[in-house]
Amino acid sequence: MAGPLLSIRDLKVEFATRNGPVTALDGISLDLMPGETLGVVGESGCGKSITALAAMGLIPDPPGRVAGGSILFDGEDITHADAARLRSLRGTEISMIFQEPMTSLNPVFTAGDQIAEAIMLHQKAGRAEAGRMAVELLRTVGIPEPERRARSYPHELSGGMRQRVMIAMAISCRPRVLIADEPTTALDVTVQAQIFDLMRDIQQEFGVAIMLISHDMGAIAEMADQVAVMYAGRVVETGSADAILDDPLHPYTRALIGCIPVLGKAAGLEGRMPPLAEIPGIVPPLHLLGRGCAFADRCPLAFDRCRAERPVLEGRPHRVACFAAEMEAA
Amino acid sequence: MSLVQPAAAPEAISPLREAWIVYRRNRPAMFGTLLLAVIVAFVLYGTFLYAGDPYEIVWAPQTPPGTEASVPLGTDYLGRDMLRGLLKGGGPTLSVGAAAAIITLLIGVSLGGIAGYFGGWLDDLLMRVTEFFQVLPALLFAMVVITLFSPSPITTAIAIGVVLWPQTARLTRAEFLKIRELEYVTAARSIGARNGRIMWRVILPNALPPLIVSATLTVGVAVLFQAGLSFLGLDDPNTMSWGLMIGTNRQYVLDAWWPVTLPGVAIFLTVFAVSLVGDGLNDAFNPKLRER
Amino acid sequence: MGSIAYIARRLVYGVILLIGVLVLNFFLIHAAPGDPAETIAGAMGGATAEMMADIRAAYGLDKPLLTQLAIYLGRVAHGDFGMSYYFDQPVISLIAARVGPTVLLVLAAQLIAITLGVAMGVLAARKPQGLMSGFVAVVSTIGYAAPVFWTGILLIILFASIIPIFPVSGMTGARFSGGSAAYVVEVLYHLALPAFTLAIIFLAQYSRLSRASMIDVLGADYVRTARAKGLGEGKVVFKHALRNAVLPIITVAGIQFGNLISGALLVESVFNWPGMGRLAFDSVLRRDYPMLLGILFFAALMVVVANLLTDLSYRIADPRIRTGGR
Repeated sequence: MAGPLLSIRDLKVEFATRNGPVTALDGISLDLMPGETLGVVGESGCGKSITALAAMGLIPDPPGRVAGGSILFDGEDITHADAARLRSLRGTEISMIFQEPMTSLNPVFTAGDQIAEAIMLHQKAGRAEAGRMAVELLRTVGIPEPERRARSYPHELSGGMRQRVMIAMAISCRPRVLIADEPTTALDVTVQAQIFDLMRDIQQEFGVAIMLISHDMGAIAEMADQVAVMYAGRVVETGSADAILDDPLHPYTRALIGCIPVLGKAAGLEGRMPPLAEIPGIVPPLHLLGRGCAFADRCPLAFDRCRAERPVLEGRPHRVACFAAEMEAA
Repeated sequence: MSLVQPAAAPEAISPLREAWIVYRRNRPAMFGTLLLAVIVAFVLYGTFLYAGDPYEIVWAPQTPPGTEASVPLGTDYLGRDMLRGLLKGGGPTLSVGAAAAIITLLIGVSLGGIAGYFGGWLDDLLMRVTEFFQVLPALLFAMVVITLFSPSPITTAIAIGVVLWPQTARLTRAEFLKIRELEYVTAARSIGARNGRIMWRVILPNALPPLIVSATLTVGVAVLFQAGLSFLGLDDPNTMSWGLMIGTNRQYVLDAWWPVTLPGVAIFLTVFAVSLVGDGLNDAFNPKLRER
Repeated sequence: MGSIAYIARRLVYGVILLIGVLVLNFFLIHAAPGDPAETIAGAMGGATAEMMADIRAAYGLDKPLLTQLAIYLGRVAHGDFGMSYYFDQPVISLIAARVGPTVLLVLAAQLIAITLGVAMGVLAARKPQGLMSGFVAVVSTIGYAAPVFWTGILLIILFASIIPIFPVSGMTGARFSGGSAAYVVEVLYHLALPAFTLAIIFLAQYSRLSRASMIDVLGADYVRTARAKGLGEGKVVFKHALRNAVLPIITVAGIQFGNLISGALLVESVFNWPGMGRLAFDSVLRRDYPMLLGILFFAALMVVVANLLTDLSYRIADPRIRTGGR
């Protein structure tokens, strides 16, 4: 079996604030295997999006900076690669789609132009040819009347279509890694399902590895082969999707799974995910983290040790960072 | 464990007091306040300390500043004392500027308030009138008004007020539109307060912060207008003012720089100080906007 | 496509505004103290009884006020803005000779102010705490607080006696025709200082505004998308960000046209620029009302046209307005 295509090793990211540096990612490790989907799940503020931006080399610097660890793409260490190398990877090898398709597309350029721009940049295509290829891509991502839609501006498209345009843009240069940061959060449930179908089709057709970032365990369950659960800048549980969904070990993971709306496929369309009301409390501000487990204050199983000492990932291949889970297993 | 004494409730600070606290900490604003105070003091009291007719010819023409003890800031092209002129000339500049700002405020707040409060066709009509006045280049319009009615400081103040009010009107309208929907206005209405009372006693006090800021900045603009008009010689030639000094000396500027430069510095510092105060007030009333 | 209907509506509105200016003119003459006929003849003392009779007849001054207004509007509709009794020429032909230089000055100043202002703002936005941001703050202060006629005179001192590379006046050859390349160079050469002086006021506003707008836009999601595509920093900033950041500049530039014309009055006076400002100044001194009111009308016309053009350019620059139909 080949090695991971994208490998994040012990990555630390800090942000400078008025009150000194704040650790946004505290030594996380993730592996994305070729052709697979890795789901990264957690509430907002847990560091998922920072992870994605770090993989793209897009951490805004300043105030952010990579303070330790490494990011390997296909064996190449790109943690401190120069701007030119990163640009040549972006769009061609690693692409990204974002949460808000409305604000992520430039309002003053047409959909076709924005797709063609990437093609002209990376594939040395002329304007006319890039335009034709853009139309083809729009067809590929299932947009009706692609010739006409290529000439549309973002505000003239529906939310689902905009996200399809984003996907078309992302796959325009056949990347090997596609990072999708909450790609369906801003969309209706029915459209969500269509976008996921599209992403699966694209994965099969192009063999692209997908890193799917979501706060929605339901979405992760539907898409992912591997899952990493993040909390407060750390990975607290990781393993195959089956293992995590069938046998969640971390109390946080269990709470997230408890939040999957009980829709099944049949229960109809009330499935907009409720906010994580079931987990009491909120993700603690990262600069207020103490020595212990970050989840301890919200955790029903927490005991003294959880507040004194920080648990590390244990086990293989299903790994969890939790003292309670350790005791349960023992 | 029983520290649960009725903890000294955080002292309720009035918004004005809070604004003052923010303002006091704002260095540029405090500098502007001080600068403005110094300028006003000079203009008000300077003539007592350094008396004399600014039109009187006292020394050789175009004596540079600092070369002759009896005319510390030199003389102009006729040999008139620059310092006398600067002290005397500040009065009309500042008072016309302030008066024009008050007129602007009176017209702008009344029309804008009525438009914003009553809405409907009245609002439409008044806003069209406002747009109409904004189409007329302000300085040109002021020139026409002054020419039609004989030049005097009062005419100048009125002319400036008449051309500057549209912005204030728009601002007032926007504030009134916003505030009239608030609950305390509905409450006032429900106890049968008359429109006039609601407009001027209930809404206006709450719309004051942005209006105060805008009025301050209007003073700066009005000072510039007054200076411009008297520079062109449209103000009363018998009223010494900073703009007039620049206007009368400009032809000889290549022989002597100071008769033009010094009054200009005075205008610049005045407007600069006013704008620092205005910005400071703005920051003090909107602490959230300060980040940028 | 609402564009044509929109333009038509704006045109009609502009015409109504201009008729409003004429009505205002008419009432200003009647509001002035004294006999309107004398007001029209101008306080030049030399108006003969015969001339006064002519004026009374031409303006219908013995008729009711509304009839007089109708007569006045009717004359204007035929391009007759009256006679300038001081210059002894029709107002319209005097203005026609002076419109060109003023338009040239105003447009050149606007161009300089926008180009330099946006460039400064963009550079400053890259580093919100950097040197350029400080420079923008200083320029804003000067542009706001320094009287434009004074900066003009200071520039004259600077360029006349210290670094004499630009002429400080002399643009008095009143005609702006001709067309040889040398003539164009000559005009531009004389234009440089006045246009730059006038630009300083607006440079301040544009640089401050474009800095703020650019900082906003650089934080937008679509800028991140552009970076994620692998675009270079130049393309990200100057194509994706700038196109959006200039939108508020266009709006403000439109609003500023009236103020530009006001500023041009002073700048023309400082630099002896043969435009409408000088003409207005002269007519004020001679109390030449028909002339002055004609200038007021044409200045308003310039503002209305400029506003219309601004609106159109905004519709071109922002597709959301063009097709969104608000």
